[in-house]
Amino acid sequence: MRKTPLFLLLLLSAAFFPAVLFAQSIPITGRVLAPNGSGIPGASIFIRKGALGTVTNEEGKFRLTVPANATVTISSLGFLSQTIKVSGDQPEYTIKLEEDVARLDEVVITGLSTTVKRRNLANTVATISSTQLNGIAPAQTLDGALEGKISGAYINANTGAPGGGTTVKLRGVTSVYGNTQPLYVLDGVFIDNTATSAGLNAVSGADNVSGATSNQDNPSSRIADINPADIENIEILKGASAAAIYGSKAANGVVIITTKRGRPGNTKIAVSQDLGFIKARKLLGVRPFNAQRAASLSSDSLRGVALGQQFLAAQSAGKIYDYEKEVFGHTGFTRNTLLSLSGGNERTTFYFSAGQKDEGGIVQHTGYRNSSLRFNIDHRINDNIKIGVSSNFINSSADRGLTGNDNVGASLGIALAFTPSFTELHPDAFGNYPNNPFANSNPLQTVALMRNNEAVNRWINGLFLEATLQKSDKSLTRFIGKGGIDFYSLETNAQFPSNLQFQASSKGTSIQGSTRNFNTNYILSMVNTYNASEKLSLTTSAGITQETGDYNNVLDVATQVIAGQSNVNQAGALSATQFRSKFQNSGLFAQEEVAIWDAVTATAGIRFDRSSNNGDAGKYYAYPKAGLSWNLTRSGIMGNGFFTNLKIRAAYGQANNVPAYGSKFTSLAVSNISGSPGSLIDIQEGKSDIRSERQTEFEAGFDVSILKGRLSLEATYYEKNINNFLMQNNLPSSSGFTSQWVNAGNLRNRGVELGVNARPVATKAITWNTSVNFWLNRSLVTRLDIPSIPQGSFGYVLGSFQIQQGKSATQIVGLSPTGIVKWGDAEPKFQLNSFNDITLYNKLSLRFLIHWKAGGQNINLTSLQNDFGGTSVDYDKVTNKLGVPDGVYRLMQIGSSAQEFVQNSGYAKLREIGLYYTFSQLPLHAIKSLKFGVSLNNYVTITKYKSYDPEVSNFGTGFSTGVDVDPYPSTKRAVFHLSLEF
Amino acid sequence: MKRIILYTGMGLVLIANLTGCKKDYGNLNSPTVESFLANASASQLNNLVSGTESGMRNSLALYLDDVSTLGREGYHFSAAEPRYVTDLLGANDAVLSNSNFYITRPWASRYQVVKNCNLLAAAATRSTLITAAQKSGYIGFARTIKAYQLLLNLNLTDTNGIRIDVVNPDQLGGFVSYNDALTAIMAILDSAKTDFAGADIAFQLSNGFAGFNDAAGLLKLNRALAARVAVYSQQWATALTDLSVSFFNLNGDLSLGVSHVFSAGSGDQLNTVFIPQNQFGEVRAVHPSYTTDILAGDDRIAKATLRNAPVSQSGLTGYRDLWVYTSSTAPIPIIRNEELILLYAEAKIQATQYPDAIVALNRIRTAHNLPAYSGAVTKDALLAEMLYERRYSLFYEGHRWVDLRRYNLLGQLPIDRSGDDVWSAFPLPVSEQP
Repeated sequence: MRKTPLFLLLLLSAAFFPAVLFAQSIPITGRVLAPNGSGIPGASIFIRKGALGTVTNEEGKFRLTVPANATVTISSLGFLSQTIKVSGDQPEYTIKLEEDVARLDEVVITGLSTTVKRRNLANTVATISSTQLNGIAPAQTLDGALEGKISGAYINANTGAPGGGTTVKLRGVTSVYGNTQPLYVLDGVFIDNTATSAGLNAVSGADNVSGATSNQDNPSSRIADINPADIENIEILKGASAAAIYGSKAANGVVIITTKRGRPGNTKIAVSQDLGFIKARKLLGVRPFNAQRAASLSSDSLRGVALGQQFLAAQSAGKIYDYEKEVFGHTGFTRNTLLSLSGGNERTTFYFSAGQKDEGGIVQHTGYRNSSLRFNIDHRINDNIKIGVSSNFINSSADRGLTGNDNVGASLGIALAFTPSFTELHPDAFGNYPNNPFANSNPLQTVALMRNNEAVNRWINGLFLEATLQKSDKSLTRFIGKGGIDFYSLETNAQFPSNLQFQASSKGTSIQGSTRNFNTNYILSMVNTYNASEKLSLTTSAGITQETGDYNNVLDVATQVIAGQSNVNQAGALSATQFRSKFQNSGLFAQEEVAIWDAVTATAGIRFDRSSNNGDAGKYYAYPKAGLSWNLTRSGIMGNGFFTNLKIRAAYGQANNVPAYGSKFTSLAVSNISGSPGSLIDIQEGKSDIRSERQTEFEAGFDVSILKGRLSLEATYYEKNINNFLMQNNLPSSSGFTSQWVNAGNLRNRGVELGVNARPVATKAITWNTSVNFWLNRSLVTRLDIPSIPQGSFGYVLGSFQIQQGKSATQIVGLSPTGIVKWGDAEPKFQLNSFNDITLYNKLSLRFLIHWKAGGQNINLTSLQNDFGGTSVDYDKVTNKLGVPDGVYRLMQIGSSAQEFVQNSGYAKLREIGLYYTFSQLPLHAIKSLKFGVSLNNYVTITKYKSYDPEVSNFGTGFSTGVDVDPYPSTKRAVFHLSLEF
Repeated sequence: MKRIILYTGMGLVLIANLTGCKKDYGNLNSPTVESFLANASASQLNNLVSGTESGMRNSLALYLDDVSTLGREGYHFSAAEPRYVTDLLGANDAVLSNSNFYITRPWASRYQVVKNCNLLAAAATRSTLITAAQKSGYIGFARTIKAYQLLLNLNLTDTNGIRIDVVNPDQLGGFVSYNDALTAIMAILDSAKTDFAGADIAFQLSNGFAGFNDAAGLLKLNRALAARVAVYSQQWATALTDLSVSFFNLNGDLSLGVSHVFSAGSGDQLNTVFIPQNQFGEVRAVHPSYTTDILAGDDRIAKATLRNAPVSQSGLTGYRDLWVYTSSTAPIPIIRNEELILLYAEAKIQATQYPDAIVALNRIRTAHNLPAYSGAVTKDALLAEMLYERRYSLFYEGHRWVDLRRYNLLGQLPIDRSGDDVWSAFPLPVSEQP
């Protein structure tokens, strides 16, 4: 069934070809030049919007057959486009393009198959260029490379562990327990970003009700697989007003990733090599002990005396250690190699890349390796049909260590918190590690013996076909089909040999997970552009979409493992779990775009969607969108004097977020005894009439640019309402159930985004490009039908999230002497970033990214753990009103106030800074350019937050971000770059 | 013309998509309630029986920690979880919270099993694939276990009560008082007793039910539980009657009875009350008063083994490890003969039939290397003696706090740190609050 529409369309399009009309044509040639006189390669030459044209070659030259008296448009990214009138007696043209400083002519995706120039756009669509993404101080993974770069987004690294793991929220929290992460579309392929747990909960017991897996298992994001070096640009549709046409998965926004393509001309070979190192951003330090402090670790006087003596003995033997440094103070080396080839001719172009990076971690035996191959080919079969293929194979492997919350004292941070500096944990002459008498594990032994690996093989393949079905003077009809598959297998392998201290009763644990995920999607659309007159043009598009997913995870937990073995059958006990999910979403869409004088653009579209995850899988839900932009300078209302461009705009749209898989069933879990299979009712009650949550977004704003575009401002206000948001209602547990997914209430986000782009200095010697973005978001729960309870953390005593009508959705509440009060909010007061690129003589480039997150709170339990263990660096300081040691004082707050644990996590970071020098005139002619660079990533952070990094989330990517329980410490990177182009 | 063709094409595609088969994948991962209620087969019902038996062990270690910590039998020291020694002991200003794991989890686990029992009874009732006698067997088992699970929750919340009627999750019955709850639990046990008369047991139970896995055996278990409920309700005569049809045996094996068993099998559970001796980080330490209060020669000191080095947390120190459950597959009793003998003694004391009571108490004393009882033959003295035996015989099996509360003796419990409190009941979980 699924394949029929594509087949049908191909048949139809074939039927059309004979009907295609060719007017009387003349050949023209020309050259497209930049303001400095050099040819612009890859500029597009076309007759009108949407029609197939051609592109310029290496020297900026082109050749095209056009109807006589046609109007030809020349455009290239970064330049203002120009139109010329072709006359029969002039066969050759030279076109000089002006630089588009305010990016007015940048083409932005607005539909599933249609685009519009930024100057006519009704939404704010953030764009990240490849330089911004990967050209300042490259991050380890793609998710890390987005941090601090998207206006309107809250992007937070969950952990410093190799392989990434990041929370991305666009324009506020859009769901409570539904998916909050945006949809990622890579060259038309909807790619999967499921975080799959490696089953560490079976060892850590971090969440001792959820079995082998929990949201505290610190998995990586699958988006991390994509090599940032292959990316040409990223566009972000932040909410429903822009993203509605993407349907069921777009409620949290869409991140559209476009990879590099080849250009006609000589084959370009580029090789780059990075070398660098990774260190912990910050270590907390350890408590300076003395005999009396050592003695106070035990309340038992005899034991206290013994501890005091132990300290003195260790001190005189010179055996006082900084275990935090021994565990987290390792320097990881990094290397990253990329080879790319691109080129082609006017009909076929290609881009090929092969890359490998290998990076160590700040904990020994942790690290990240990623190898990827990409092949992008574009081919014009004839003047009417163009196809494209993007193929990407990725092999990645992340060794992530054992960190974060746990309930057995096995995690590195928890063990360190309880280990004083005067105990001996180093191995003896035979390599045997002593048991840690202060905690349930010896962290040095844990680092040396345990492994936690995630290995991925992934194949993402995208296809693209565009065919002109009909062409006349006024009308142009195209078929555009795109889609692809995303397949990966993920093997998780966590090994805990039996000689580990905390394996005393399990006698060795081997946890092996195997996940296969297969996603497909296609978008088949017809686009008709109708130029009714010079002043009016209509673009109509309609089509069908479908997305499917099939996820299968098998997790084996073996305990009592035979010494030295890792296979799960080499064990005394084995338990297995399997989780499968499947979905199919189908949609129909239609969109109409009206452009009047190329100045007023009105867009209206609708999408009908159904999903197998909905209570009623057959029912279609409608999601409309509309937008209007009015360019005042273009329409002649404002003279072209002071303002280069002035536009007002407004947009509206709806999108939905499907319920979590399985939320409509009341199922029975397996619960066996003595070899008899047992069924025990699940604690989650099914809701047969569960519906998608619906998001409605309205945004309005204006864009101004002055001084020939050298200074521009974008201002946007938005309001986003999420109706019937999905939430797990906590049922009275006497019902036998503790939770149920329900459509629980309404939620609103309002926010402001301001962006300034400027080129303050533009001389022959120096150019300075800068952009400053400011954004803030406020959420409010406007309706809640279910009782409000603390959730997403450890309860009121230590600070907790709580959805309450009339309150911010991300508020943090907790105990106070006067009852339960609000102590904070995960939402920052505002965020601000600034990109800067200062270039001297086109050779030396200094680029940096500053990110300021003002306010916002975390629940910081890392320092609390250190207080519990009596090992905090500031335990003995006395700054409190009671005059007792601060550590004691903080512990006394437990049970009476949560204020101590809800801490401001604001920061100002110099996230990335890089200095690059390019040699373009080289004695060796074979080498076209040679570039050197050095960069620092995450080197400067100004914050008052008392843990490893204010950017942390122990509970993963969901609603309750910002809980800090002994994470893998955040890292900083220093890298040397060398790249050559042939 | 071309536009017409175009729109026709678009229309065709649209129709193709609209009429496309709608996908509803069902539940790929597990059976659903509906599948059990639609004429369940015997093997489906047996799965529910095993699930019920298995589920009784969920949060059981936490339940034992709860009542044993409140009853000052031991401390659970955990590097990562301070609330065992803060909230449960009332350290400083800490109080029992209605949203914390120590009440929410065991409470929910018991009602989860109750729900499973209700589903088992409903599925058996609707099934046309089993005989009437088999039906009675399933229903009798479901009711007996349900009553036992309700009793455990009542032990936690005491005067705060429990819900009895929880069949319809959308219309839960109200909370009933402690005494009404005991009456209701007794009524459920009594109806199960009727079910077992002439029942055919078509299902298999674990080794924990060895000797009790037929209708006669299950009836004996049912009556043993009824005797406990009768004693809690101070229905001394009823208690003695129930004991007489239970597996009570004054001279029998003290460990005879029904228990939860554990194994490392797939989908099975291990006994997590077990922690190896001399650990740090995760430790169950015996309360120091266990050693100071024990009589010389009492062999039950073996339940608390001396550590190589003391272990401390938050101002508390343990010198001995809990050694009641000596491996991760050691069973945890549901009810056993030693308790029945002590229930018998208690009922006899309360009925002022002291000689019978002393015989029973001496049966326990001699079994534990103590001389025969030589104290005063008064109600108070004998009750004190009975409570001593219960404390040591049923150590860390979930009794002492409940027993002292029954006799208004919680004030006798030692306070370890100034500011600590002895709680008399857990609050109702936050999810149950109106």
